Amino acid sequence: MSVGAAELLPGAGGGLALPEGGREIAARTPLQLFWSRLRRDRVALVSLGFIIFLIIVAIAAPLIVKLLGLPGPYTQNPNLTDSFGSPLGPSGAHPFGVDQLGQDVMSRVIYGTRVSLEVGIIGTAIATVIGVVLGVVAGFYRGVADTLLSRMADVVLSLPILLLGLGIGAACAVRGCLGGTIQTGLGEILFLITLATWTYVYRIVRGLVLSLREREFVDASRALGASNARIMFREILPNLAAPIIVYSTLLIPLNILLEAALSFLGVGIRPPTASWGQMIAAATPIFNTAWWYMAFPGIALLLTVLAFNLLGDGLQDALNPRTAR
Amino acid sequence: MMKSLRTIALAALAGVFALGVAACGSSSSKSANAGLNVAAGVQTPASQSLTGGKRGGTLNVVNHEDFEHIDPGQSYFAIDYQAVYATNRPLYSYKPNDFKEPVPDMAEAAPQISSDAKTITIHIRHGVHFGPPVNREVTSADVAYALNRGANPNVANPYFEAYFGSLEGFKAASHGSPIPGIKTPDKYTIVLHFTEPKAAIAAAALVLPVSAPVPEEYAKKYDAKKPSEYGNFQVATGPYMWKANGEGKVLGTGYQPGKSATFVRNPNWNASTDFRPAYLDQINLSIGGDPTVIGRQVLEGSHIVQNDTPAQPIVKLAFEKFRKQLLVSPGAGNRYVALNNSHGPFTNVNLRKAVWAALDREAMNKARGGSLVTISATHYIYPEIPGFEQAGGVIGPRFDYNEHPQGDMAVAEKYMKLAGYPSGKYTGGQTLQVVGSTGNPASEDAEIANQTLKNLGFKTKFNLVDQATMYSKYCGVVKEQIDVCPNVGWLADFGDGQATLDVPFNGKNIITNGTNSNWPQSNHAKINKAMEAAETVVGTSARAAAWGKIDQELVEEAVAPVWDWDKQPAIEAKDVAGVADVWNEAGWDYNFTSLK
Repeated sequence: MSVGAAELLPGAGGGLALPEGGREIAARTPLQLFWSRLRRDRVALVSLGFIIFLIIVAIAAPLIVKLLGLPGPYTQNPNLTDSFGSPLGPSGAHPFGVDQLGQDVMSRVIYGTRVSLEVGIIGTAIATVIGVVLGVVAGFYRGVADTLLSRMADVVLSLPILLLGLGIGAACAVRGCLGGTIQTGLGEILFLITLATWTYVYRIVRGLVLSLREREFVDASRALGASNARIMFREILPNLAAPIIVYSTLLIPLNILLEAALSFLGVGIRPPTASWGQMIAAATPIFNTAWWYMAFPGIALLLTVLAFNLLGDGLQDALNPRTAR
Repeated sequence: MMKSLRTIALAALAGVFALGVAACGSSSSKSANAGLNVAAGVQTPASQSLTGGKRGGTLNVVNHEDFEHIDPGQSYFAIDYQAVYATNRPLYSYKPNDFKEPVPDMAEAAPQISSDAKTITIHIRHGVHFGPPVNREVTSADVAYALNRGANPNVANPYFEAYFGSLEGFKAASHGSPIPGIKTPDKYTIVLHFTEPKAAIAAAALVLPVSAPVPEEYAKKYDAKKPSEYGNFQVATGPYMWKANGEGKVLGTGYQPGKSATFVRNPNWNASTDFRPAYLDQINLSIGGDPTVIGRQVLEGSHIVQNDTPAQPIVKLAFEKFRKQLLVSPGAGNRYVALNNSHGPFTNVNLRKAVWAALDREAMNKARGGSLVTISATHYIYPEIPGFEQAGGVIGPRFDYNEHPQGDMAVAEKYMKLAGYPSGKYTGGQTLQVVGSTGNPASEDAEIANQTLKNLGFKTKFNLVDQATMYSKYCGVVKEQIDVCPNVGWLADFGDGQATLDVPFNGKNIITNGTNSNWPQSNHAKINKAMEAAETVVGTSARAAAWGKIDQELVEEAVAPVWDWDKQPAIEAKDVAGVADVWNEAGWDYNFTSLK
């Protein structure tokens, strides 16, 4: 590897600390350096804390709902709507109010966390893997492979993803598409997200690989007889860890918003599964009389996206301090 | 044959019956129909005064939606009808507050139906004149031409063949040319000859706008074009006419699509030949706008009404703060859960009964706006349609699976066991395809039905698609074999049991190579046979009795759990004496509405 050299430990008063009393200068690993920078970024730390909280909420949703004494997210109760069918607002028993079916909004917001994180994290992971592999191949081999992959990425980038989602949603409703391979709901969302976002990772990785493949450590590996695969994935790829982490972190909120948008348009997560986007869509016609139905999933969506964005910025600062924002 | 695919999804349901139950249903109709009452202070079509309005003035109308077709030979939409019935005079019409007995309009008296139910003779009024630019007296030839237009592919009438397809020579005739079975022995008489004894339903269908006279010498050149352009140059016979230029052109003059429409008085209309008072001088209609905004505009405005359905928050606001300006009309159709009777688990009648028993129909209606705009249904012929009382009125044919509007899981469990599931839960392993409609409140209703199925142990694949797709690609396509369609419904073309039950529940109407409207694929030999016999029955009372009995049999067979009889809301400004049509989804009737 070409990077990873230790730094000298900075002294308390700034500047380079000199050894005292026979103590040796302590070298730090890249991870330690990353952490020391990140922990100085309070906004990023708070965001990280919030995301960890969200993950816990998502995993333990049934337990949390039970502990809070809330009804399940699919428990319908028409007695919780008024005589016109308008849902009742926040109360002690239902802190976020209920929806038109008398389902507890807080319970559904908690369960909605699962969908958002599933889509955000799994969708981003798939898109990142595809983008990284194709980016490394295109950047390393250049030529025909690069041309083909890059033009393919250009085509994908020109696709109107929301319209495509509406089309796929309509075409694949009920029976699914491609022999049932693509089904509406989570599978369709993951397909669209992967399709829409792998290109971002691909273009960044390709650009970096084009630069790294000319570096001396690559020549050295090649001289030692390393195969192309080894050079790509054992020598070059580790150098891309920082930008990949940063950009994939920034992709997560993008994907969460995309899921919400598709669900809002009625082609994403389908009822009765709780999804913030779908809840906001269902709340829109009755916003004047049931503000809570839109407000609480909206706030949850806002905070989640904000947290991932702020954490992404913090990671970028910590992993690449020379980048000015 | 039905308006349901146009604007609203409606429903009906079927169930089992016994003689004792029928007797129960037909007794005590007063208390049985208590559910038809609307809240105090809210207007109903029955409470409206049809006389004594102030003459003169201009009524402003706001419509969120535009017209679909303004040609009387093609129109098939509530908003279209409001214009068509103000500017045209079909052979028969309904008074605003009656959906049972049509009154002669262009006709002079009730139709004469031959004893073999194969011939209808109608005499038309003397002294009715076309408006400008035709300006001559209407004759029976004009009515004959209008009916022939119904079969003209350039006009593309959506229902003519369904009701008049057995006219002599209809099938052999080159459509667009005269149908041999339509005769005009003199200037004021028209005779319709049928090859089958179907005169009763055809006579009932003469209230539809296709029977409004059209002058052949004027319209022929427009009808020669595909599609016909007669609508854009139409001539009036009613009290009002579309504002037109000197050549009679309406498009661009009195009708700006997507923007506005203007109706002025027909100078050739003779009040002595008509039962309509026609108080207004002019009607200015504005098209488009946010439903919530235009709803407020009406409630707080002057000399203005909203024609299409007000948004739910506006209905609530009107009820709470402008109650005298709110009208609610029953008779706006039915809604039911279509369980597939011909394929899958719901071929088992006991499973259908179990679903009916478990369904919380009250919750479904609450999601639609509650009792102000819905009635928990117990059978398929809905209020205001002849046969409703005969089928049992509001209480309907009583069975244990339809007597609890909030659902009864104990009864449901009983029928699950009778269906062969001893645990009371479905263990058949088949996943049900459930296809509902998107949008509020249809999606909420579909979710309630889906949850009901899950409560009974069914596994479901639940999908919501837009309403048009639901009908055209799934619930209306037999080969898709959708198991459950929770959001379907029916609005009859006119007040007749056959118009309400035949298409959606008669096995002969299951269409396998086109769009099928028998969504539950109901095909029960006994019911099919009873319908065949009832088709030939003549006379409003006799037909009501025959079709009311069939309605009971459909409930006995539990064809499809029916959950709603719609009531339609409408709003007006405080200084409008609006009169709404119970037979047209509570659309304001320009012929009877006046300003205060």
